[in-house]
Amino acid sequence: MAIISINSDITGTVWKVLVKPGDSVEEDQELIILESMKMEIPVTASEAAIVQEVCVTEGQAISEGDVVATLEV
Amino acid sequence: MSQKPDYTELQQRRAKALAMGGEERLAKRRAQNILNARERLSHLLDAGSFHESGLLAASYRPAARDKTPADGKIAGFGKIDGRPVAVVSNDFTVLGASSSVVNGKKIKHIRSVANESGMPLILLGESAGARMPDRMGAEGRAILGQDPAEYLRDRRTPWVSALLGSCYGSSTWYSCLSDFAVMRKGATMAVASSRVTELAIKQSVDPEDLGGWKLHTGTTGLVDVAVDTDEEALEMVKRFLSYLPSHNGEAPPIAAVPAGSDDAIKDILDVVPQSRTKTYDSREVIRRILDKDTMFELKPRFGKSLVTTLGRIDGKSVGIIANNPKFKGGSIDVDACAKATSFLVMCDSFNVPLIFLADQPGFLIGIDGEKRGAPGRIMNWMNAITQVTVPKITITLRKNYGQAYLNMGGGRNSNESAAWPEADYGFMDAGTAVNVLHGVRYEDEPERFKQLVESVTQDNAPWALAALYEIQDVIAPHETRDYLKALLAIHSRAPSRGIGQHRLANWPTSY
Repeated sequence: MAIISINSDITGTVWKVLVKPGDSVEEDQELIILESMKMEIPVTASEAAIVQEVCVTEGQAISEGDVVATLEV
Repeated sequence: MSQKPDYTELQQRRAKALAMGGEERLAKRRAQNILNARERLSHLLDAGSFHESGLLAASYRPAARDKTPADGKIAGFGKIDGRPVAVVSNDFTVLGASSSVVNGKKIKHIRSVANESGMPLILLGESAGARMPDRMGAEGRAILGQDPAEYLRDRRTPWVSALLGSCYGSSTWYSCLSDFAVMRKGATMAVASSRVTELAIKQSVDPEDLGGWKLHTGTTGLVDVAVDTDEEALEMVKRFLSYLPSHNGEAPPIAAVPAGSDDAIKDILDVVPQSRTKTYDSREVIRRILDKDTMFELKPRFGKSLVTTLGRIDGKSVGIIANNPKFKGGSIDVDACAKATSFLVMCDSFNVPLIFLADQPGFLIGIDGEKRGAPGRIMNWMNAITQVTVPKITITLRKNYGQAYLNMGGGRNSNESAAWPEADYGFMDAGTAVNVLHGVRYEDEPERFKQLVESVTQDNAPWALAALYEIQDVIAPHETRDYLKALLAIHSRAPSRGIGQHRLANWPTSY
């Protein structure tokens, strides 16, 4: 078991949080949706995993590279 | 009565070579469910088609000659789906398939026959690097570099590499020179092994971090696809080659069109949201345009905001470059630029027509991209697309903004262009344009802002471009597959039999 961080690859505002700790997620599953560049841009799981922690809340402004969630793989 | 000739020695020598590195080492691999070098060839090639070259080759050092069956690299020719190929399979049970004088001669021979007779070259990688002590000292230098074309990549025939174990030295170099690289999870590819790295720079490293599948499929882009088993990797090699000609002097083979290939396009609007702000996965659009089950995506984990995939339309091989709004809203980052350029080079070198599906808000701007030389990468791509001589067709699905419009085949960078009615040819997002042009913000004057956004958006519609014949048509999304079928037939390049000029054949092998 290893813990990996999921970072936002784009600067934006958190619009929706779609998962909670303990959820199982598939590779490419949407974890949160950002509003950025006038688009709703999902941040997705890099691989199948269990969500350990969600590090952002809806409405929060985040920068490129910020950790949005940690996953147990 | 003449005496019957005695071939016992020949038989014994052959049997000894075929025993590879010995039963103990082979058993260990079996226990781990890892194929050996000869089993890999059996899985890869049509049954009974392997013609070995150099079964009796061995180390040039007499002291090692008995311990080096085939000198650790099994080489020869065979067929895949009836088409000839040249192949080198590294035998790790023989001195770690380390690179030596004699097996270097084998690779050189196989490579030159592949070039002369127009066969793809396949490298099944698993090697420890240079053979020691052969390469030690000044005398060792004298055996290096005897083949000045060793790392010349001029794309006369496709090269494919499978990374199936620890790959250092030649397996790494040839993989990086290849048009397609597949890695078995658990294999590693690096300049030097983690052990050498630890000893040399006192840095403790995990082989996975140094050169595992996640690094190479996600960060470096040097590997196209990772799979779980040797067998799957070999299937990937075969599948990749099915889209390409055997050499650059012929067009790609034409396949039968699977039944039901025209069905999926009917529900294309189910996967593309009407709202401009909503993202979708453009691979779902591509699947519906291509012949059924023919999508073969390259580098799916690298530069994900851009999709590069081989596939077939009406049985003909095509290369598709599509923005993917699902990742970064489709904005084009440095990795996406590298991915697009290498795909252009590959398709153009092997006569594969190109299709661009544009839905992108521009290049991803910001400090990170600039630090990595984004403008240079963008111009590499532009320089490549300008020199491509295979047919190029562009379809704008939704937004197609900024300078990146040209990278996606805009203007005269395609032979033929069309747009969906929802296409949006702005230079930037309409709301941002109203901010910049009119100094009006939604928060201050919501009604006026909405009116201005509407007028700017209207100006972005595809009708003006169609009227000026800068795009040749506006098509409904469900007409896309038929449109492409017709255009591929029209742009047949009959006088050259579909063979391009290959101006990118000597370009680098990664960007």
